[in-house]
Amino acid sequence: MSHASHPWVTETLVSFLQGGVSISVAARGPDNLASMSRACGCRFSRDRRKLTIFLSRIQAAELLRDVAADGRIAVVISDPATHRSWQFKGTDASVAALGRGDASRLQAYVESFVRSTESLGYSPALIRALFSNPPGAGEPEHWAAVTFTPTCAFSQTPGIAAGNPLEGNP
Amino acid sequence: MTIRLETLRECLEGAVPGVIATCAPDGMPNVTSLSQVQYVDGEHVALSYQFFNKTRRNILANPTVRVSVIHPRTAAQYRLTLRYLRTETEGPLFEAMKAKLAGIASHEGMAGIFRLLGADVHRVLAIEAVPGAPLPPPLPMARLTALRTASARLAAAPDLETLLTATLDGLEEAFEIRHTMVLMLDNAGARLYTLASRGYETSGVGSEIPLGQGVIGVCASMGVPVRIGHATSEYAYGRTVRRGAEDVGMGAMLDTQIPLPGLPMPASQMAVPIQVRGRVLGVIHVESPQDLRFSYDDEDALMVLAAQIGLAMLDFEAPPETPEEPAAELRPSGVPAECGGDRPLQVRHFAEDDSIFLDGDYLIKGVAGSIFWALVKDHVTQQRTTFNNKELRLDPRIRLPDLSDNLEARLVLLGRRLAERNACVRMEKTGRGRFRLAVGRALELVDVPAS
Repeated sequence: MSHASHPWVTETLVSFLQGGVSISVAARGPDNLASMSRACGCRFSRDRRKLTIFLSRIQAAELLRDVAADGRIAVVISDPATHRSWQFKGTDASVAALGRGDASRLQAYVESFVRSTESLGYSPALIRALFSNPPGAGEPEHWAAVTFTPTCAFSQTPGIAAGNPLEGNP
Repeated sequence: MTIRLETLRECLEGAVPGVIATCAPDGMPNVTSLSQVQYVDGEHVALSYQFFNKTRRNILANPTVRVSVIHPRTAAQYRLTLRYLRTETEGPLFEAMKAKLAGIASHEGMAGIFRLLGADVHRVLAIEAVPGAPLPPPLPMARLTALRTASARLAAAPDLETLLTATLDGLEEAFEIRHTMVLMLDNAGARLYTLASRGYETSGVGSEIPLGQGVIGVCASMGVPVRIGHATSEYAYGRTVRRGAEDVGMGAMLDTQIPLPGLPMPASQMAVPIQVRGRVLGVIHVESPQDLRFSYDDEDALMVLAAQIGLAMLDFEAPPETPEEPAAELRPSGVPAECGGDRPLQVRHFAEDDSIFLDGDYLIKGVAGSIFWALVKDHVTQQRTTFNNKELRLDPRIRLPDLSDNLEARLVLLGRRLAERNACVRMEKTGRGRFRLAVGRALELVDVPAS
């Protein structure tokens, strides 16, 4: 596995992204109006050069259209307990069906987010509802995988250092 | 169906942080979480501007943005399309958001990091409900019914004393708010004094708080409701009062003689102004040990009650239409039985600040102190026991700061302090704008002139 081009994709970051983190996505729509949605989990490619996030085709319909048409994307990932946050941006985002194992990743993500927010006072039922598609749209085909090459990454933990590029940022 | 912004206010309480998405002029999107989305009116919200970051630069360059909010009890998601209009860096909206942010910051472990630089006012262009499977909404709280019950109590009150009791009763019984107080504004002194309270070990009647400080002081100086959903030392009383005394440079001795009532570290606080024709008369302040106890709907309800209270206060202040109305039947004197000693009660008056001490115990100062001094002087020199508001208002010895000062409130304050101190001098209402001074012991007056 070569990480040479992305030294900031560290083990710490990878394990952080696999925890119960909150993921929000924005894309560029017509007239430079941003579209947005909450994502339901993510994974790095084997070589850690590409990040894939999972989105509801129903909740994120507008954003998926914009991604398909424009390719630019911003993703913010933050830990609800500590507010540690990172933002990743890319210009080559594309939309695909869920890959092998993604449907179970999606389920695992929801449960891990339930665990990380329960101690903050949010009920599991509330968090599961947050990631639920409307009734009748719970199948894997109702979800999409958006993959992009992060070309820059920023620490976005609130404070003075917010907005600073991560060390080794390309 | 168009979604009205008012119906989303619970999503704006900050229980679940919102998210904002913007685009740079070159088209690169940006997304980040938002500390605070404040409801301004049916068409506007204000976003907290805390850091000059990418979001901020994008908003200024490309002012149409997207914000998503989540209902804290159903998980229903909404996306708002907003257009940035202006930034407010002072004034009512700014101060109300600053106070709320202090609570959020402290709750999130971000005290000292989250600091409001401005309130970014946006027009709401569109609201979209994100399709999903939200939980069923909780049963409504029926606040209109509570408001009606509390309002009916106020409407029945014949005088300020009863009005204050009716206010606290209504908040407790109809709204189940158990820690409450009413403070009046002393314009000249740039401070507020506590006139009534409920739910504390000591009433704190007569305690003072400087204008502009803490939740209560900001509410009065800005004439705006201030509501905090989490404990924050920045707006806690103890500190406010201490700092206030230092700022004003007063001998802290007298200021702390009557401690301000208040929970040691309330999780939720809300202060609403009692306002009539643009003039702030006082503040209703409520608090709770529970986080996020008071909602936008509670704020609405208390604002309506406060408006009714303000009008009633003005009405009580006006001279009675029938000055010759027969005196009400005298109630038995409230003077305690153990007053019947031979030794006279020493009333010491310090002209410098009109403070009054009864046998060495602090009673009151300021306008209420000057009223008391005039009453006891007339009692001793002319054996007078009955007085009326009209003559007091014209009495040059009483330093009523201006016409707008609420004499009735000063009399209630004085009467309550005398009763609480179990003093051998009491005031008893004998009719509208009239009262009797009941004196249980001979008085010895000692006047200490200003140095």
